[in-house]
Amino acid sequence: MSYIVPIGPYHPALEEPVHARLFVEGEEIKDAKVYIGYNHRGIEKLAQQKNYIQTLVMVERVCGICSHSHAFTYAMACEAIAKMNVPKRGQYIRVIVAELERLHSHYLWLGIALHLIGHDSLFMHSWDDREAIMDILEEITGNRVNYGMITIGGARRDISDETRKNVLEMLDKIEKSMNVIKDMLLSDKTVALRTQGVGILTKEDAIRIGAVGPQARASNWAIDVRKDAPYSSYEDFDFNVAVWDSCDVFSRVVIRVLENFESIKIIRQALDMLPSGPINLGLSRIPKIPAGEYMIRYEAPRGQLCYKVVSNGGEFNKRVSIHVPTFRNAPTVPTMLRGNSVADAGLIVASIDPCFSCMDR
Amino acid sequence: MQEYKRITITKEEVIPLAEKMRADGVTLAMIHAHFEDDGKPVVCYEYQVGTGIESYAVEGESVLPDISPIYDLGAEWPEREINELMGLVFEGLDTSERLFLPDTMFEGQGHILVTPMDKLIREAHGEVDAQ
Repeated sequence: MSYIVPIGPYHPALEEPVHARLFVEGEEIKDAKVYIGYNHRGIEKLAQQKNYIQTLVMVERVCGICSHSHAFTYAMACEAIAKMNVPKRGQYIRVIVAELERLHSHYLWLGIALHLIGHDSLFMHSWDDREAIMDILEEITGNRVNYGMITIGGARRDISDETRKNVLEMLDKIEKSMNVIKDMLLSDKTVALRTQGVGILTKEDAIRIGAVGPQARASNWAIDVRKDAPYSSYEDFDFNVAVWDSCDVFSRVVIRVLENFESIKIIRQALDMLPSGPINLGLSRIPKIPAGEYMIRYEAPRGQLCYKVVSNGGEFNKRVSIHVPTFRNAPTVPTMLRGNSVADAGLIVASIDPCFSCMDR
Repeated sequence: MQEYKRITITKEEVIPLAEKMRADGVTLAMIHAHFEDDGKPVVCYEYQVGTGIESYAVEGESVLPDISPIYDLGAEWPEREINELMGLVFEGLDTSERLFLPDTMFEGQGHILVTPMDKLIREAHGEVDAQ
């Protein structure tokens, strides 16, 4: 007998509101449809009535997890139009915060995934580590959520020698802990039974639909903007693009663990090689952005984030287009759900690390 | 810095270009649209070519071909977004359901990115638009 199982828009397995309809026969999902828009706030509309500094503050609030990514990408687009060269120290500080943000985002998702899998001890263990990262972000930026580290022309705050030492100590601590988590994840039967062979997205399907970020890399597609089109001095750092080939939920768990090690590697290098000099261009007034347009790609924790800014040389943005990773990864959900059981639907939807707040804007 | 290059094309070139890009394994990063100060619509197909972006812009056309048969959902959702928020039409695209806004909001109309903010506020509060 076939019937429709609705999930959401509000559901315990979902961090944010989204609605999915599962078309099932018995326990098996035959097809699915995803409905979005429950967090639509009209941010692109508001951007047309705000100047460039106001917009910078606003886009940081598109998302509570990857807030730095939005401000960073918007600032890079504006700087590209205005042909500004951000000082090297400012670029490195932006990268350090970006990688710390990736770490805490991946830890957040890991904890949620482990909770959904039913492994609550590892969930708490991973969020304990995340707390140390949040504390360091607070020490560097003064904030735990919207960091306010980006300004057009560079970074707002410098990193002192003492903070640098504290960051390195924190990285040593979480690296050890990450190794323990990795060993447990790779050998734990509960994790294997709940995730292996579940929610398959083949490389061909990932390319066909246009998946990005960890979702693509977990389907053995090695794409990463930091390597493919480096920005903000990423070409200075030695790191690998982690890929995993099992293409299932397990693959998406493993890929984020592996990426955490790469982020730790990048932060250590950035701190070791942190150049001297100014951290920003010292623009004291609202910057004048000449007429023009530019599109910038950025590797956010969930995948490729794109900002296109169009300026007519006036006080306000003419147009700001925001294209977020979940907008690319959410369409892969029906493909992943087909053939799986209803009991796994929540975990499969969560496996893309969705951010509906970003997607709806 | 990532390179950005804008190339103007006609709407007749949109499909052949998308087919060529797909065959070459090029990713469609996004579809962007805006209106110029004179009210002329501009739709840009942003392709990731090498380390940069090649932005193929169609100017002055409010009806465009649908490239979702070529780029699947990677094009369908951006096209639906532009249709819903800006009112531009993609021929053949299923727009029977809204992507972002509730189906009943502004009576299914209200392309919010091109509607003046004061009018949106009035309509959102259910006030009669004097204009």
